Amino acid sequence: MNAVTLPEVARPTGVRLRDVRKTFHRRRRAGRAALDGVTLDVAPGEFLCLLGPSGCGKSTLLNILAGFVPADSGEVVVGGKPVTGPGPDRGVLFQTPTLFPWLTTWQNVLYGPKARGVLTPEVKREAEELLTTVGLADARDAYPHELSGGMRHRAAFARVLVNRPGVLLMDEPFGALDAITRAAMQRFLLDLWQERRTTIVFVTHDVEEAALLGDRVCVMSAPPGGTKDVLDVDLPRPRSYEDTETLEFVQAKRRIREVLER
Amino acid sequence: MTATQAATAAVTDAPARRGRSWRRVGTGAAALALALVVWELAALVIGDSVTLPTVTETASTLVKYLTHTYPEVQGKTLIQDALISAARILAGFMLGTLAGVVLGSAMAGVRVVRELADPIISVIRPLPPIAFIPLLVVWFGIGETSKIALIFFGVLPIVTVATLGALDAVPEPLLHASRSLGASPLRTMLHVRLRAAVPGVITGMRIAMGGAWTSIIAAEMIAATGGVGFLILQAGNYLQTPLIFSGIAGIAVLGFLFDGLLRLLLRLADPTVRR
Repeated sequence: MNAVTLPEVARPTGVRLRDVRKTFHRRRRAGRAALDGVTLDVAPGEFLCLLGPSGCGKSTLLNILAGFVPADSGEVVVGGKPVTGPGPDRGVLFQTPTLFPWLTTWQNVLYGPKARGVLTPEVKREAEELLTTVGLADARDAYPHELSGGMRHRAAFARVLVNRPGVLLMDEPFGALDAITRAAMQRFLLDLWQERRTTIVFVTHDVEEAALLGDRVCVMSAPPGGTKDVLDVDLPRPRSYEDTETLEFVQAKRRIREVLER
Repeated sequence: MTATQAATAAVTDAPARRGRSWRRVGTGAAALALALVVWELAALVIGDSVTLPTVTETASTLVKYLTHTYPEVQGKTLIQDALISAARILAGFMLGTLAGVVLGSAMAGVRVVRELADPIISVIRPLPPIAFIPLLVVWFGIGETSKIALIFFGVLPIVTVATLGALDAVPEPLLHASRSLGASPLRTMLHVRLRAAVPGVITGMRIAMGGAWTSIIAAEMIAATGGVGFLILQAGNYLQTPLIFSGIAGIAVLGFLFDGLLRLLLRLADPTVRR
């Protein structure tokens, strides 16, 4: 993966989880089971939403996929390789954009290629294209604190996408945004996925967001978290924000909510 | 497009911001001038140059001793004394900062070091460094070593605590982001964790610098044969009030200069404070 030449096109990779367990141990207190045997498959190019109440372990699951924390037991495979630690093959977007505040937008985007020693003119050209795609071509020399909330998130997208990850792991990335910016970012993400078809695992606690974005919605149970049910959202693609007003959408939402409240 | 708007706003903002900063400099200069006018009026009302010399008398004394030595025989010029004090501060400050950053980083990274050093730092930090002057004189004599050691032990705990606090405050997602973008643990340590802590360390250095001046002037008044503190004490002994004021003015200029350098460093390190 760390070869000097990048693959021509980022190939979406699948995710395979088998009976993944995780318990957090605290001093003088009994361990708290965060994940109690999660089994899940995500097909290459699929958009999967992980939905559940807070504390159900959906963020923990994403952190395990990203390689930030190890699972206690079970099988975690991304793109045919077991996950042993963080890597650029899995692009992570956090609840906050986590841009490096001392770097400009441009320097932030090039951080990954630079750290991996693959900063070629070709990569720079691609980074420029990406900045145009995310609408930040004019803000490339601006520092993160000079950008609006939505712009920061889009810069974080560009920073991850320049690495050509096979899968995007997103942890409630729009949770802290205002409703209007949030809708704009959801629209942006739909367009981006439509164009690139990267595998996406998207954590959310918002039923509407899950129904709008996901091909499938994995509803997780209250702690200790496990998969309650995995629902197909068979709304036509490409989707747009206007679809939220259709009857099919409302029905899909209701089905998800029923599982959630079961 | 919001991006375009913000970018153009950033461009058009620059001259306006520069105008605002010049206005701030102007207001600051006016405030200083006002203070000098009040001083001059007070001096004229009191009419006794030993109690309070006029601004003009102080200024002429200051200018005179920039090149003349005080005391006349075996004395030093104001510039020489200022350079002596500045050199002591710089030596002690740099060594103390270096040691503080190393110790603070070690405490942040290694649990045992933190648990060992934390109580010691907690005990030392509230102690006024000038309490150690007699001890340092006994150990190192009245030469340069005791002065530099004094500054060193004053700066060390402040920079250590600032470094530790800044490193602890680096948000974990920032480190995760770096790792998942493909950076090695070492690169993440150097380029993200330490880098993110730099503004906090510099802020600690600015606080330590204030304390360093207190320490060095006190040390020079107690046991020294040169330096601004020594000059002020000598001038006081001979009721040379204008020269006392000149010495104080010298400290003010140097203190302002050093803090200005650190502020410049902070602006270079942290884009969010540039306005």
